[in-house]
Amino acid sequence: MPVLASSMRRDMEIRRYPVLVYTLVPLGSLVLQAWLPRLLPGHVWFDLPLVVTVYFALNRRSPVQGTLLGGCMGLFEDALTHHAIGVNGIAKTISGFLAASVGIRIDVENHTIRVALNFLLSLLCSGVYLFIYRFLLGLDLDWSWFAELFKAVGNSVIALVLFPLLDKTQIRD
Amino acid sequence: MEPFIVRYRNLLVLLILLVAQIVGLAVQVRRTDSGRNLVDLQDGPGVRLIRLWAEAVVSPPERLVHGMKLGTVSLWQDYLDLRHVREQNQDLQKTIDRLRLEQASLLEDAQQGQRLQALLSFQEKYVYKTVAAQAIGSSGSDQSRVLYLDKGKDSGLEPDMAVITGDGIVGKVREVYPHTAQVLMINDQTSGAGVILETTRIRGILRGNGVGQLQIVGILADQRIQPGEKVLTAGGDQIFPRGLPVGVVEKVVRDPERDSFIDVMVKPAGHLDRLDEVLVITSMQPRFSPEEQQDMAASEALKGPEVEQAKAQKKAAEIMAERLPALTDPNLPPDEQPLHETAPPTIMAHPPQAIHPDRFTPGNAPTPEGLTEQPPAAGKPEVVSKPGQTLAPAPGTPKAKGPAKPGEPPRRNP
Repeated sequence: MPVLASSMRRDMEIRRYPVLVYTLVPLGSLVLQAWLPRLLPGHVWFDLPLVVTVYFALNRRSPVQGTLLGGCMGLFEDALTHHAIGVNGIAKTISGFLAASVGIRIDVENHTIRVALNFLLSLLCSGVYLFIYRFLLGLDLDWSWFAELFKAVGNSVIALVLFPLLDKTQIRD
Repeated sequence: MEPFIVRYRNLLVLLILLVAQIVGLAVQVRRTDSGRNLVDLQDGPGVRLIRLWAEAVVSPPERLVHGMKLGTVSLWQDYLDLRHVREQNQDLQKTIDRLRLEQASLLEDAQQGQRLQALLSFQEKYVYKTVAAQAIGSSGSDQSRVLYLDKGKDSGLEPDMAVITGDGIVGKVREVYPHTAQVLMINDQTSGAGVILETTRIRGILRGNGVGQLQIVGILADQRIQPGEKVLTAGGDQIFPRGLPVGVVEKVVRDPERDSFIDVMVKPAGHLDRLDEVLVITSMQPRFSPEEQQDMAASEALKGPEVEQAKAQKKAAEIMAERLPALTDPNLPPDEQPLHETAPPTIMAHPPQAIHPDRFTPGNAPTPEGLTEQPPAAGKPEVVSKPGQTLAPAPGTPKAKGPAKPGEPPRRNP
């Protein structure tokens, strides 16, 4: 009985979105991630696919969906680089799973929590990427933690603006 | 009790996805003989298929967004922001005129250089054909500095073609898709290009570092390398033609791993992070392109009479030089010509005695006084030369080309 009650409460809190939003927003994030760095020279200080993954994983509250979405986004990002396919895939798979798992337990309406979660998951994603590249694959890679910190801050700022906008697209009963 | 699969569904999905991706990674990485791991330069069929799908999904929206950006910029620049355009036009026209003349002279120099190289049996490859392309996207990651172009296999692009701009080199084509191509930029960590320092002629390998800066690695410490020195392509990598600008030396730092080596940091000549249009070198041939040949012909036509006059003068001088073989020796450098000899001149031996002496034999030639005062011999008609009339040449002498002009030096038989 407590399980059923918990499940009902969870189901009520799951947010739903139009199919177009659920498909176009991830695609748009991939396109913008590939296109915007050309307009904004210097370091790439954001990771839009990660922000979108975290958003949908938090709000859908389904670890399976978060895992699959993160995996797909990461694989797409890998496919656009000249590196091995799967490094970003694994990093974002883990990030999506963790975001969804945390989303079940916390209040996703709180902006501070969202931003903090984005910041932490960005750093975690970078750490997983570095671990896979250097230790799992044994490849050479110059790395700057300062750039990754900068990227985590950028992701948090984008989340602060983007999450309320995406909230407006959800289907309300 | 819930079944195991339902209870641990989330973790199982995570595990399956992670294992599948790890296996996929293991397939793509191989170990070399030296014990280092490397990602295969050539993608396998499966990996290439995934990249093709990703490119097919992302590329059309990228083109759309890029087209919208170009349209907006064009609308602003072509219709709204037209201040000082007339003055700029006039300035540009003057610049074009000046550059045309400069280009024509440079092309002539280049042509002469080519001829000399051909004489030395040295084949230098020149950029013959390029394809202009727009940069429409990137990888979106600092760890992978690649560009996507809006031209692909249908435009004749192939892997390992050099990509340049007017300022300098950009990178090389890595993957070619039907309508797009992926370019590995020179500031990526995995790229490499052979370069040479212009003044010191020190060669090295150019690559990128983690923050996207260019550096020449593997150079022994040398005090002569100074900031500001130009860096050019060396031409030994079979991708970039020799002599293209790469950048200038920014600073020299010690190699952190090897004491006696240095890393030369290079400021790129091209704006690698603000690329819109690039040129892909699709063909390199040891000759001029039709456009350049047209330019040269146009410059010849522009110069017209001056060139013809100069050529005629040169030809006359050459004929004169040929008819005066004792004065110049074409096989000797100018400072060793006979006229420049400091040694006393050698005394010429007497000519051999003629078997049948006549009036042309040395010593038998009549003096001018004798010719004017001596009456004509009996039985021989008097020969009088009139203006416009030419005399028949003596047997064995070459035919004269025309009457001598006033001021022209007397002709001598070779």
